Amino acid sequence: MSRVLRELWLFFWRDLCIARTYRSPFILEAVEALFGAAMFYYVARFVDSPQLQRSLPQGGTYFSYALVGFVFFDYLNAALDSFDRSLEEARDAGTLEPLLVTQSSLPVILAGSAIYPFVATTLRIAVYLGWGAALFGFPLRAANWFSVLAVLLATLLAFSGLGILSASYLLLFKRGNPAKWFLIGVSSVVGGMLFPVSILPDWLQLVARLNPVTYALEAMRGALLAGAGFAELWRSLAALLLCAAVLLPCSMAVFSWALRRTKITGTLTHR
Amino acid sequence: MPDSAIKIESLEKSFPPARSGWRAFLQPFEKPTAVALAGVSFEVRRGEAVALLGINGAGKSTLLRILATLLLPSSGTACVAGHDAVREPRAVRRELGYHAGSDLGFYARLTGRENLRFFGRLNHLSDHTLRQRINLLGHQFRLGEALDRQVRTLSSGTVQRLSLARALLHQPSVLLLDEPTRSLDALAAADFRRFLKTEILQGLGTSLLFASHTLPEVDFLADRVAVIDAGRLIACASPAALKLKCGAATLEEAFLRLTGRKASFNDKGGDA
Repeated sequence: MSRVLRELWLFFWRDLCIARTYRSPFILEAVEALFGAAMFYYVARFVDSPQLQRSLPQGGTYFSYALVGFVFFDYLNAALDSFDRSLEEARDAGTLEPLLVTQSSLPVILAGSAIYPFVATTLRIAVYLGWGAALFGFPLRAANWFSVLAVLLATLLAFSGLGILSASYLLLFKRGNPAKWFLIGVSSVVGGMLFPVSILPDWLQLVARLNPVTYALEAMRGALLAGAGFAELWRSLAALLLCAAVLLPCSMAVFSWALRRTKITGTLTHR
Repeated sequence: MPDSAIKIESLEKSFPPARSGWRAFLQPFEKPTAVALAGVSFEVRRGEAVALLGINGAGKSTLLRILATLLLPSSGTACVAGHDAVREPRAVRRELGYHAGSDLGFYARLTGRENLRFFGRLNHLSDHTLRQRINLLGHQFRLGEALDRQVRTLSSGTVQRLSLARALLHQPSVLLLDEPTRSLDALAAADFRRFLKTEILQGLGTSLLFASHTLPEVDFLADRVAVIDAGRLIACASPAALKLKCGAATLEEAFLRLTGRKASFNDKGGDA
């Protein structure tokens, strides 16, 4: 176990060292987050009304509702993107083969390569929320941080399976991320990113109930905006963990199969 | 450790035909029909150096990649230090160092040392051992200050030396090298051959299987030469025995007679 943890740390250290060589993106991203938070603040001022506030599930302002939805999608994006992006980068840089002839196992290589993007996304989200709280009145004091952490972890586990499936697709077909395209596309309409699913037609609400993103967003808003604890969030957390329990082993099996296919067809390093 | 460092029996490998357009979606599932290796059998004994000789596309790299656990054979067996490359890939990787011959394969924005440390740790070397090995190999490969520069700033020859250092980092018992001196200048290539022969082959008793088109290199390094043509092993003997068998004065002549080919471009160079 400690060897696995050391290897996971090693991948994080590698990506941190690489990121350190690019200095300006950190500053640019912080500025970008400021503009993003400001944009949501002024959109919210434009559309906010007592009636709209009453229709929001956790109460509060539309600004805090929309900001959580937006930054959470960043996380979803990272979960869906990190695995296949790290695989693509390794393939294009020619480091995939040297990695695969080391003693490290494939799950560790995959998981390790995803750690830095997740940590970087978490920091980016913190910056967004920090700007929101410092300048635009985002209610950070209401948050239940243990619940936030639990929701983030459950979300990561639930959507990493889809990310690994995307990586399998990339191994076989060399381009494209259908899981991301489908989930982000569908969820931007029926996930509750910028508006509550309750305003959708009944049949779309049914689709939203089948979408794990809806549960993740509800739980995240509950934890961040309403300070909800495990007692209030357990249904959403259970839905996410169920999703993870099904998707993670399936996706690892599919990835192993895809890797085996590429070792048969000799296309492992093809672009 | 068994007597054979590498044992290959009736090894066959076929690939699905290359496809483009929408048919590319079917390629991963298509039946392999393009034969790369057709029943190759031979062994590399412990401490022995065997060269793979053949024209481009003969199947040399395919053979090395199967041994490196990067490809699965269609049939037959390939064992490294007694471990089957299909059933025990991790045990095989523990025993071997693999250099694919390219100057890619490093994180361009990390230094040479950081890259070596990363791959060395993935091969479960301790910090102390790693430091010693990196310093030793850095000295032997004349990497010098290149170790502390970002890889993107290094010449391709230097990156290739770095890659060879990486293959040797964990002191493997078997080395697989695919055209190891391809990007090296004449001086570095000669240095590398000497280092490989005296320090690695004679000094450590490491077994070596390498593919090369440079016949003087094959003559200098190899105890035996395995000649592969169109996926078939057509001869495997010492360079002297091959020349004798073919009544040839040089290895190049022997290779051309064995494969029934003629030298193109009328060149008298050392490439096969």
